[in-house]
Amino acid sequence: MASVSVTVLLPDRAVTVTGEAEGEDLWLTPAELARAGGWELKPEGLCRDALCVPIPPAASWVRNRSGDLKVDVTGLSRYMGQPVAASPEYAVWSIGPAAEDVADRLRSLEAPDFTLPDLEGRAHTLSSFRGRKVFLLAWASW
Amino acid sequence: MALDSAGAAAAGEFIRAANPTHPSLIDAHYEVARAFNMVNVPTAVWIDEEGRIVRPNEMAFADNRWIEYTKFDMTRYLEAVRDWARRGAQSPYVLDVKARRTRLSLPTAEHALAAATFRLAEHLHETGRPEAAVPFFKRAQALQPDSWCFKRQAWALTDAEKYYGTNFQREVKALAGRPYYTPLDLGG
Repeated sequence: MASVSVTVLLPDRAVTVTGEAEGEDLWLTPAELARAGGWELKPEGLCRDALCVPIPPAASWVRNRSGDLKVDVTGLSRYMGQPVAASPEYAVWSIGPAAEDVADRLRSLEAPDFTLPDLEGRAHTLSSFRGRKVFLLAWASW
Repeated sequence: MALDSAGAAAAGEFIRAANPTHPSLIDAHYEVARAFNMVNVPTAVWIDEEGRIVRPNEMAFADNRWIEYTKFDMTRYLEAVRDWARRGAQSPYVLDVKARRTRLSLPTAEHALAAATFRLAEHLHETGRPEAAVPFFKRAQALQPDSWCFKRQAWALTDAEKYYGTNFQREVKALAGRPYYTPLDLGG
């Protein structure tokens, strides 16, 4: 199967990886997988930050053909409850945060932190306003 | 904070005209909109000194020019904001914890997929493939039909009549009396 260069849109950034696309499946080597979502292959399973997930024995999103280990990041993400939208035609995959993770963060009532630029490109981070009230107002030109 | 896929090109003129003393940010990829599951504008969230949400997402106009849509005297809302600014946690408009949780806009799996699909559509549009973006914008709209953000942003990027066969006025009319904004409940 031919290798393709794919743009992966992650919750907070976009990366370019090389993989093999089959429909919406995107098969990556462990090194590319680490770049597309921060997953690291360890003896205990796939790990990201403090979380390690054992790979289910029948996982359809892992394959090992004579030592050539690949993980389908679409299958893995969906297994983790993360939504995936893909345009194989244009080689773009979009992987969002799991709905449950977003909901849990909101239920904690701690405002999700973020950093956004202003018109001059200066970055502003919500948590840097601790000690002051913040009136967060979303508007749009449309 | 402007929710605008075209970023400064779309929001810049408004920010320059208002010339605000407060930070005025641009959320070009709907990152914050997604984290708070915002579905329309204007939407405000009150966040206290410890970074806690004390009033979740709600419609927040500064005046009554859109009262036809808001069905609410926004001068009362402004008074509530000023009261909170003065009195903080003592303000009656700071909701109790139970009311805060009840009012949260929590995303479902469909909403999360809608947001990921919208992000894909935005990317296709901004990298010069606007026609390829349209089916993904439509899919995002179908997955989260209560999001006016996904509708109106997509329409604004292109010819809504041509690619979506609709426009804002027609969609509002289709509400047939149902409110465009979730009615504001000040409490307090």
